[in-house]
Amino acid sequence: MADTPIDRSSLPIRRPAFAGATKKTLEGSAPDWNQAMHVTPPEGAPNVLLVLIDDAGFGNPSTFGGPIQTPNYTRLAENGLRYNRFHVTALCSPTRAALLTGRNHHRVGFGMVGEFSGPFPGYNATIPRDCVPWPRILQENGYLTGGFGKWHLTPDNQQGFSGPFDRWPTRLGFDYFWGFLGGEAGQYDPLIAENQKMIGVPEAKDGEQYYFQDDLADKTIDWIHKVRSEKPKTPWFAYVATGCSHAPHHVPRKWSDKYSGMFDEGWDVMREETLARQKAVGVVPADAELPPRNDAIPTWDSLDETHRRLYARQMEVYAGYSENADWNIGRIIDAIDELGELENTVVIWIWGDNGASMEGTLTGTFNELTTLNGIPLTAEQQLGLLFKHGGLEAWGDEQLAPHYSAGWAWAGNAPFDWGKQVASHLGGTRNPMVVHWPGGIGDAGAVRSHYTHVTDVGATVLDLAGIPMPDSIDGVEQQPFDGVTFADSFSDAAAPERHTQQYYEILGNRGMYKDGWLLAQRLRRIPWDLDPEKLRSFGPGWNPDDEPVELYYLPDDFTQSKNVAADHPEKVKELSELFWAEAEANNVLPLLGGLTSFFGMVPPIPRESTFVFRGDIQNIPSGMIPRIYNHSYTISADLVIPEGGAEGVIVAEADHLGGFALFVQDGKLKHHYSMLGVLEYTQASETPLPTGEVSVEMVFAADAPKPATGGEVTLLVNGEPVATGRMEHTVPGRFSGYSGMDIGRDNGLVVDLSYADKAPFAFTGEIKQVTFDIAPHLSEEDQQALHEHAEQALATHAASA
Amino acid sequence: MSNDEQMDVLIAVYLFEDLGRKDYDGVMDLAGEKAISVQGVVLASKDEHGEMKVIEAGDHAVRKGATMLGGAGLAVGLFAPPLLLATAVGAGIGAAAGKFAKHRLESGIAEKLDDVLPDGSAALIAVYDSGDADKVKQAIPNAIRSSVAQVDGKKAKELKAGLEEASAGLAG
Repeated sequence: MADTPIDRSSLPIRRPAFAGATKKTLEGSAPDWNQAMHVTPPEGAPNVLLVLIDDAGFGNPSTFGGPIQTPNYTRLAENGLRYNRFHVTALCSPTRAALLTGRNHHRVGFGMVGEFSGPFPGYNATIPRDCVPWPRILQENGYLTGGFGKWHLTPDNQQGFSGPFDRWPTRLGFDYFWGFLGGEAGQYDPLIAENQKMIGVPEAKDGEQYYFQDDLADKTIDWIHKVRSEKPKTPWFAYVATGCSHAPHHVPRKWSDKYSGMFDEGWDVMREETLARQKAVGVVPADAELPPRNDAIPTWDSLDETHRRLYARQMEVYAGYSENADWNIGRIIDAIDELGELENTVVIWIWGDNGASMEGTLTGTFNELTTLNGIPLTAEQQLGLLFKHGGLEAWGDEQLAPHYSAGWAWAGNAPFDWGKQVASHLGGTRNPMVVHWPGGIGDAGAVRSHYTHVTDVGATVLDLAGIPMPDSIDGVEQQPFDGVTFADSFSDAAAPERHTQQYYEILGNRGMYKDGWLLAQRLRRIPWDLDPEKLRSFGPGWNPDDEPVELYYLPDDFTQSKNVAADHPEKVKELSELFWAEAEANNVLPLLGGLTSFFGMVPPIPRESTFVFRGDIQNIPSGMIPRIYNHSYTISADLVIPEGGAEGVIVAEADHLGGFALFVQDGKLKHHYSMLGVLEYTQASETPLPTGEVSVEMVFAADAPKPATGGEVTLLVNGEPVATGRMEHTVPGRFSGYSGMDIGRDNGLVVDLSYADKAPFAFTGEIKQVTFDIAPHLSEEDQQALHEHAEQALATHAASA
Repeated sequence: MSNDEQMDVLIAVYLFEDLGRKDYDGVMDLAGEKAISVQGVVLASKDEHGEMKVIEAGDHAVRKGATMLGGAGLAVGLFAPPLLLATAVGAGIGAAAGKFAKHRLESGIAEKLDDVLPDGSAALIAVYDSGDADKVKQAIPNAIRSSVAQVDGKKAKELKAGLEEASAGLAG
C-alpha cells in the first residue's frame, strides 16, 4: 500500500477502499493490488532493538563507571549517547508495563508485579484494553515484532495451557515470543514459553551445559535472520529482556573467575571507586558527593574474614553474570552489523529496571526462595546451608539459587542510596540508558542529561518510526501516553526537556519530581524486611503523610545527598499535594504500604479442590500447581506396572531447593520433599511395587491447618500403608519462582538428587492418572484462614519478584 | 577440669581452607604453650576438585604422654593413608603404615566429612581436655559451624563414639 495514504489513526488499519473495477468477467475488470497487500511502516522507519537488563544498578556497568566490564555497552555508548538521568519505577513488572505501554505503571494495573493480581485498578496486573502496548502499534503498522527473554506481565495464574492468553506477549503486540513469563528463571533450567505455549526446559547440546542467556541471544539472532530472509526491507522491532541480573545468580565459572579478588576491598571502597570513575566518564558531575552512609548496611571493616570472602565471591559471580549479559547482547549487535543494518537500527539499551536488588538480605542467601517464603535465616544458618549445598564453590552453579548481599546492591547503585523497591530514592529509580543510532545521532559519545522516564521510550520509538499514536485500537479508544518523545535529543543536545513532572510509587515508597525538585518519602521498612507484622503496620490507621519527608533539588544535587526539606516547607507542601493528585489520576490509590491480603482483602476462595492429570502433562508453571501448602492433602496415582517392574517419577514439582517428588526407585515407592533446601524428608516403602494395575497414594496429614505446618506422611499401595514418616516443616508459600511440575518425569533440575544421574527419570510404566485432593477435611474457617495466608505468601513473594 | 578423664571431641568446619589452617595454628599454639591439654588435632580439607586430604596433623605439639592415639596417631587412626600424603605424617607413612595400622579406627569420619564438606572447605578435629573448652572455642573464630561431644576415657572406643556424636551435631 506504499502509494496509498494510510490512515493510521485507528488500528487495525482498515483495508483501503477498492480502487479497481469488477465486471461480470475479467473483461473490463481492473485490479487493485492494494487489496492483497499488507500494511507497511512509513518510509524510512528504522529497526528498533530495545534491551532491558534486570535488577542492576546505575553503578554496575563500566560504561557508567561501574566495576563490571561491559565492553559492548561501552562501544555503543561511544558511538551513541549515554543518558544519565533516565528513570524507572523501582520494581520489575511496573517498569516493564510502563516501558511497553508508555503509561504510568498504576494506570495499566501494574502497581505491583504479575504474581500479585490485586483488587484495585492500579494493582490488578491486567493491562487494560484502552492502554494497548505500543509494540502492538508497531505491529499493526507493519513492523515485524519479536519479544525475547523475561516478560513478567502475564498474571501468575494465567500462564498455563488454559489461558486466558490475552495478556501473553503474542496478544500484546509480538508476532513471536520466546522466553519466560514470570519474574525470574534459573539460567541453567528455565521454563520456556514460545508464543502461546509452555515448551519446557531446554536440553543441553553437544555436551555443554545449557545456559539461558546464550540461548536468548541465539534465539534473537535466529529470529532476525529468519524474518530478514523473507522480508529484506521491512523494519523490525526486537525486545530483548535478559534474566540477568535477577536472582538466581547463575553463571559459569569462566565468567565469574575473571573477577577473582576484585571485590576483596568491599562495598564501601567499591562505592568510592565507582564514583571516581563515574566522574571520569562524565556521567556524574565532578562535584558530586556520595549520600550519607546508609546505616542499614554494615561497614566492610566490621565483617569477619569468612564473611568478607563469602561476600566478595557473591559479587564476583554477580559481575561475571552481568558481563555475560553484555557479551550476549554484543553478539546480537554483531549479527545486526553483519546484516549491514546497524546504521539504521535504533538500539535503546537500559541497564536495569529497578536498581540493583537488595532482597538478598544482608548475608545474601543460598536460596532466594527462603526469603520470599518469609523464612528468616540467621547468618549462621545461611552459612550452614551454603555449606550443605556445595559451599562457596557452588555459588553461581546450579546447586544453588543464590542472591548476593544487600551491601553489593547498595554499592552497585552508586552514587545513589537504596535500591529496588525504594521508589523514593534514585538507587531504585535511576538507571543507565544508552542510545545508538549511527543514522540519527550527531555527536556520538556524548552524555545527555535530559530528565527522561521509562514511559518515554514508546513515544520516542513511534516518533522515530513516523507512526502516530492511534485514537483507538480494536474499537477501544486509547488513553494517551504518559511519556513524551525525547527523539530530538538524539541529534540536538539543546533539545527541550519535556518530561518535567513524574510521580513514583512502589509499596508505599514514593516520590514526586517536578522541575528539578524531588520530594521523597521512604517507608520505615527496609526492602528485605518482609515480616508480615511489619507489613501489617501499613494497614488501616496508617497515615502515609506521617512518614519522614525529604526534599532534594537535583540540578544542584545529582546524587540526592542534600535534604533541604527543612528549608523549603512550601515546596514540600506543593509536591505532597501534587503527589496525591497524581496518585488519584493514575490509580495509585489506595496507597499500599503493605498489601491488601494482609488486611483481609483476598479473592474468593477457589472451590476447585480436586485436580486430575491425565496423559502427557509437563511444565506446569510454579504458580499454577495445586495449592498443597499449609494443610492436609493427598496425591494419588493409578499406575500399570509391567512385568519386571518399573521406575521413574510419577509427579514432581520444582527441584532440590524446594519441591516434592513421588517416584519409584529400585522398585519401591518413594516420596521426597525439600523444604527449600533447608530441610529434606524422604519416605520409602520397603517392598517393591506389585505388577499390573496398582494404585499408589501419598497422604499428608497436617498437624493443623497453619503456615508451614508439620505433619505425618503415609505412603499407600493398593490402599495398604507401606511407609510412614514425619515432616516437621513444610513450604508455606511457594516451592520455586520458576520451576514447573511434571507428570511422569522431573524436567530440569530434579527434586531428589538420588536420581539426578537418570534425569528426567521418566516413568517406565504407565500412568493412567494423577490426582491431587488439596482440601480434605478442612473447615470453612480453616479454609478461609489458609486462603488468606496463601494470598499473603503470594504477595510477599510478589514484593520481591 | 572437673573430670581428669573427660575429653571433648570437637569438629569445626570452615568455608575456606586457609581459615581452617589459621584456627588449627591457634589451637596448636595453645597446645605448644601448654595452655591446653590436647590429645590430637587434625585439619582435613576438600579441594576444589572434591579431593579429601589431611593437610595438618598435630603430631609434635601435643601433650607429652598423650594416651589416646595421640598426634599422628589421631590422624592415622582416623584417616586412611592416601588421605595423609600431604602431611608430615604422610611423608613417613610408607614406613610407618604398619606401625600405625594397629591404631586404625573404623570411625567412618573420613566418609562423613567427605559427605559434609563442600569443595574448597575444611574441617578441624580436635580432642582435648574438657576443661579447656573455653580456650579452644576462642581459638577457632573462623569456624562457621562446630560441634562438640564429651567422652569419658581415652580409648579408641570412646573416641569413636565422640566422633559419631560430634559429626551428628553438624547435620542440618
